[in-house]
Amino acid sequence: MSTASVATLAGDRTGGRKAGAAFGDDRLWRWLTFSPALALMLLLSVLPLANLFVSSFQDITWAGGDSTRSFVGLSHYRALGSDALFRAGLVNTFIFAFCAVAGQMVLGLGLALLCSKVTRGRVLYRAIFILPILIPGIVIGAIWKLMLNYDFGLINQGLALLGVMQHDWLGSAETALLSVIVVDIWHWTPFCFLLFLAGIESLPQDIFEAAKVDGAKPWQEFRYITLPLMIPTIVVTFAFRLVLAFKVFDEVYLLTSGGPGTATEVVSFTLYQRFFTEDRIGYGSAMSVAVIFLVSLLLVIALSARRGLGRT
Amino acid sequence: MRNLPGINRRHALAGMGAAAATAATWRPLWAQTVAPITIVINQSPWFDSFRRTVERYESETGNRVELDVNPFAGSLEKQRNSVRANEGQYDILIMNSGWFTEMYAGGFVAPITDIDPGFKLDPKVYTLGDTVYYNAEKKTVTADGKLMSVPVQPNIPMLYYRGDLYAEAGLEAPATFAELEENARRFHEPPQRYGIVQRGARGPHTVAYDFYPYLYGHGGGIFRDQSSGDYTVTLNSPEGREALEYYIRLAREAGHPKTAAMDQAEVVQSIVTGQAAHVMMVIAAWSQMDDPNKSAVVDKVEWAPPPSLPELPTAPGLGHWLAGVAHNVPDERKRAAVEFLRWFQTKEAQLTTAEAGGIPVHAAVYDEPIADEHRYRWMKPLAQALPHAVNIYQFPEASEVIAVLELGLNRAIAGEISAVESLNGMADEIHAIMDKHQYDTSQIEPL
Repeated sequence: MSTASVATLAGDRTGGRKAGAAFGDDRLWRWLTFSPALALMLLLSVLPLANLFVSSFQDITWAGGDSTRSFVGLSHYRALGSDALFRAGLVNTFIFAFCAVAGQMVLGLGLALLCSKVTRGRVLYRAIFILPILIPGIVIGAIWKLMLNYDFGLINQGLALLGVMQHDWLGSAETALLSVIVVDIWHWTPFCFLLFLAGIESLPQDIFEAAKVDGAKPWQEFRYITLPLMIPTIVVTFAFRLVLAFKVFDEVYLLTSGGPGTATEVVSFTLYQRFFTEDRIGYGSAMSVAVIFLVSLLLVIALSARRGLGRT
Repeated sequence: MRNLPGINRRHALAGMGAAAATAATWRPLWAQTVAPITIVINQSPWFDSFRRTVERYESETGNRVELDVNPFAGSLEKQRNSVRANEGQYDILIMNSGWFTEMYAGGFVAPITDIDPGFKLDPKVYTLGDTVYYNAEKKTVTADGKLMSVPVQPNIPMLYYRGDLYAEAGLEAPATFAELEENARRFHEPPQRYGIVQRGARGPHTVAYDFYPYLYGHGGGIFRDQSSGDYTVTLNSPEGREALEYYIRLAREAGHPKTAAMDQAEVVQSIVTGQAAHVMMVIAAWSQMDDPNKSAVVDKVEWAPPPSLPELPTAPGLGHWLAGVAHNVPDERKRAAVEFLRWFQTKEAQLTTAEAGGIPVHAAVYDEPIADEHRYRWMKPLAQALPHAVNIYQFPEASEVIAVLELGLNRAIAGEISAVESLNGMADEIHAIMDKHQYDTSQIEPL
């Protein structure tokens, strides 16, 4: 940069400072420039949430083409506790989220470790592994509905070849949730794989070389170097996936509609039922607020855990 | 031909072509007498017949009709969004038996005779439990109310059975539940063929709808008397118990092993692939039975009214569709919508519907020679069953009750809880719903 241009810049900064002083030590100027972004954020996220929150204390009825809102206090929140469907949905959601995410983490990390060692055909391997994440949810529903079909599904046909009896994977209370978990693992493992692979590839190689010189075996390398260095990536991936798994809807809606009975009922599906199908806007809003609170709580716990592990 | 000054043959041909193209484009506009309208409708087995009937209306009148086609639940959601806006997007709402009262009571449907006082419902059109009328003062669906809609499909469940198997065995169509069970057991040869395939999955109005003929055919019911405002919950009566236990027994002993997960598409699939000896489902699926591209049992399926107890008449639940005019569209579009409905209810239009695979709403069509043709062999049994069809819900909060039934019945069919637990539990929940909405309700002694 030339001396002249440096001088110009310095002059600009001085001029800026003078102008800033006119606005009261930059504060007003900062607020003026920040306020459009703040207003947009308020409009797009805080306002809808506030509206949802207010609706959760109301009952909304329709007559003569117009709506009437009546204040009902905390009654919707109290009713959540006695809603058997919501309770079943919560339990299933926790089981689903923890089992599916655990499966995805183990498989994703395993695949990432294997792929990081591969030198030939890397692009091909990665393309194949990330394929499920690119498929739209509705197509995944169709694929697995066909695969798990009782009469002509590939899985039952394969079992028949082995002499094993057909099983109603989606219609049996014992296996329906497990089947949906397997589908979710198939769908989202590539997400974990991609994050883990990026993490592994960014690890400092000199530590591994030093370990090799010291005679470390592959398992020791993984246990004492890879895993500790990967902890931040693992925790962030886990938090992301847990929050997303907690919001599962499409797989349940397409494969089982929450059935049989309440075997695959999840909170998002209960919410859909109450808010949209039954048109209970007030109660559905209360349920939405409760779900948002739970997801936020999960995120806070996961991020606190990350900070704790980081200090360790 | 002598050329005009300045105009050669190419100019003349181009001019004629342009004139022809303009005429072709403008003809419908000249013929059009009313404003274009939009109809929101669901994708059902009978949709194609409706589309073809609409096409005939357009070609006969030059009027324009746009169809917005959606899945079952999606159609309801779009209707709610449209009628609750300041100005609606849809002029005609195709409403299911599960939600038409919500639209009437909410003031979302304009009475047809308010739009056109001269409009008369053809006396030969089925009024389907008087569900086309609504008395806003009494909040009842009774003939003393205003005309709110015109029926589009008089959909009720019918018994589909394999006529070829019955002929081989020398059997008559079953009229009672005992006969149905006996015949289902007789033809039950799993996994090649199931005696009966029933719908048991949870859905927007799935297992509950298929259970109604069993419940009402056993003399049971959900409420004591909705027409008189008595919403005493009677679902968990001994008759209700007998009906549900019968449904479950059929599924377990002569039915498909995955009944609890069966939806309508799978039930249709089971009969057209020859895997089911009987199914009880909406008559709207009839045209698929004889379609050689879809069916392995062409000409082999016959129809009968749903069975009942010997001393009771058949009692199929109405799962019909009604067309109402939205309250929040401009007057010219309301009038255009009424014009369409006026045309749609005629015998000629309904013949088109029947020929296109739909179910006519005009009684005279069932007396036409078409009803004697082999292809339309379902018409006579349907005409027998229609007068006995039961309107299950007369109140706007029906969707809440349906959700309770869907879960409770599915849990019982899946074996998660017993029939008695299911019925008592559902009765408690339905009573709570009716009480919350301040209906005159009570409960009978639990089972």
